[in-house]
Amino acid sequence: MHSLKDYLRLYFIIETQYIKARMQYRADFIISSIGMFFSSLATLGIFWVILGSIPDLAGWSFMQLVFIYGFYMIAISPMQILFDHIWQIRFHVQQGTFLKYYFRPLNMMFYYMSEMFDIKGLTQLAAGIVILIYASIRLDLDWTLPRVALLLLTLFSASLVQISITVLAGCAAFWVLDAYPVLGLAWKLREFAPYPMNIFDGAFRFTFTFIIPLGFVAFYPSQLFLQPEDVSSLVYFSPLVGVGLFALTYWVWTKGVNSYTGTGS
Amino acid sequence: MSLIHIKDLTKHFKILNRREGLSGAFRDLFSGNYRTVEAVAGVSFDIEAGEIVGYIGPNGAGKSTTIKMMTGILKPTGGMLQVNGLMPYDNRIRQAQIMGVVFGQRTQLWWDLPVIESFKILKEIYKVDQKMFDRHMDMFNELVGLKALYSQQVRTLSLGQRMLCDISASFLHNPQVVFLDEPTIGLDISIKAKIRSVIKELNREHNTTIILTTHDLGDVEALCQRIIIIDKGKILYDGDIKRVNALFGAYRTLKLQIDDFTAATLQTLTGKLTEKFGAEHGISIAETEELWTDVTIDQARTPLSDVLNFVMSNFGVDDVRIVEISMENVVRKVYDGALK
Ligand SMILES: Nc1ncnc2c1ncn2[C@@H]1O[C@H](COP(=O)(O)OP(=O)(O)OP(=O)(O)O)[C@@H](O)[C@H]1O
Ligand SMILES: [Mg+2]
Repeated sequence: MHSLKDYLRLYFIIETQYIKARMQYRADFIISSIGMFFSSLATLGIFWVILGSIPDLAGWSFMQLVFIYGFYMIAISPMQILFDHIWQIRFHVQQGTFLKYYFRPLNMMFYYMSEMFDIKGLTQLAAGIVILIYASIRLDLDWTLPRVALLLLTLFSASLVQISITVLAGCAAFWVLDAYPVLGLAWKLREFAPYPMNIFDGAFRFTFTFIIPLGFVAFYPSQLFLQPEDVSSLVYFSPLVGVGLFALTYWVWTKGVNSYTGTGS
Repeated sequence: MSLIHIKDLTKHFKILNRREGLSGAFRDLFSGNYRTVEAVAGVSFDIEAGEIVGYIGPNGAGKSTTIKMMTGILKPTGGMLQVNGLMPYDNRIRQAQIMGVVFGQRTQLWWDLPVIESFKILKEIYKVDQKMFDRHMDMFNELVGLKALYSQQVRTLSLGQRMLCDISASFLHNPQVVFLDEPTIGLDISIKAKIRSVIKELNREHNTTIILTTHDLGDVEALCQRIIIIDKGKILYDGDIKRVNALFGAYRTLKLQIDDFTAATLQTLTGKLTEKFGAEHGISIAETEELWTDVTIDQARTPLSDVLNFVMSNFGVDDVRIVEISMENVVRKVYDGALK
């Protein structure tokens, strides 16, 4: 069978081809990348205008909010770049084109997701990195090597949270005829992720912490860097939440794949 | 031990009577409102390495469902199913390595990539070594002129070209068994002929076992030594093609559009034909589509031209077509005891 190294190599080969194919439509490629960059900045702009006028929000200074926002943009990028094909799952399941993913000696989630590589997500990632660096300079954060390692770990976990929430919602397609509202809802909800959870009232905060754990996409993990001396114990779970949630997602995906009966003929 | 061993295999689909909308979707999650379809209802056969088997039957007979079980997509409801000694559903990844699959009109190549890149990716997926890859690509080139299509995006291929590419691709990793579900559907005569010869060559090259479903009896005649006829999930016939060939090879269906067609016309026609050709005429008559009357003739007993002349001189006929016997008619004849 295939080792991790085989999979990485295969992924590289497939995506290189996809990028090459996209590059043939150079104008389309450049315009959509630029578009993505500016739309990332535009959402930040709105954020900036709304929050810039308030000195602090539930105890968070504006620059701290910008840091959380940068963290958020980085954390949602892997979903965008690597797992974007989840948006087509309803189509594949209903049209029966999903069948082909069973025929290769590959992990099916890998094979399915490898069919799309959203290169414009890279510009969002870049924008997120710029914003995070800018905010941490302004906040005068002290980046020692262990703290950088912790940042990478928490970003990894946070992106797994975002991936899991979206892919889980997409998996609904295996059981319901029209899974689009479920996926659409999950996607809309992510817009709550860059806000401090303590601005939400109890029910919402509970939901975003324990049920649809959007708080772990940006806010909770950011606290490790913004207020390291004063964090709730929840925050220390943030690296685990991502891994646990992804394991659950993979389990549900496998269930879905195993129970899929295809379309007739 | 046979390459494929199937005993009393069944597959039942539970069909949920689904509801609309988001709230309907949520209610569906907990609903118990099912009906059951027995798509495969107790099927047994063994297939040896190197055989080309035609798996045929009318629409909805259970052919694709059987193939989906053999390829590890569907879990059988009951019975025994082994391919190369293993249960496909429980060993999907391992089994995929020894199988090739082509499913009707749905391509498995990478839609947005040039043809050659699909083959290169498959080479990596199946770990085909360079020597075998080169040899196979040369062979595909010889058989289907693949080279001319190398740089074309899969999405721009015609249906026939794509099918040729898909079939070639399914043989790239030298699988032990290849499943072809309706490989000639929607193609014209010349591409069909090409596909048949390609399949034959590929089977000969490595003695690859091939299981093929089709509605075109010409495919079966050209390719298979053995056929399995299935209807309503049950096997009607499993054996040498020669006996069946004699059956449908000699039959032709005369499609007639008769002037002033009324309810009584069929009876009049039957009566007159019996009068003319005797009781053992081997002719059966049915009204299939609106205005069209099908007269199926066993040419071993009554020449088609005689029937045509007779009908033309006794009835006003607007239009005539002559077609090979349909799958449905073959199945009906088998039910009627034609192979006993
Ligand atoms: N995923 C499914 N869910 C529910 N019922 C199904 C499913 N797939 C097939 N069936 C039913 O099972 C029966 C057999 O279908 P199958 O696709 O195996 O027929 P087939 O012999 O391949 O027909 P065709 O020649 O039209 O392709 C049909 O009655 C079909 O409606
Ligand atoms: Mg079918």
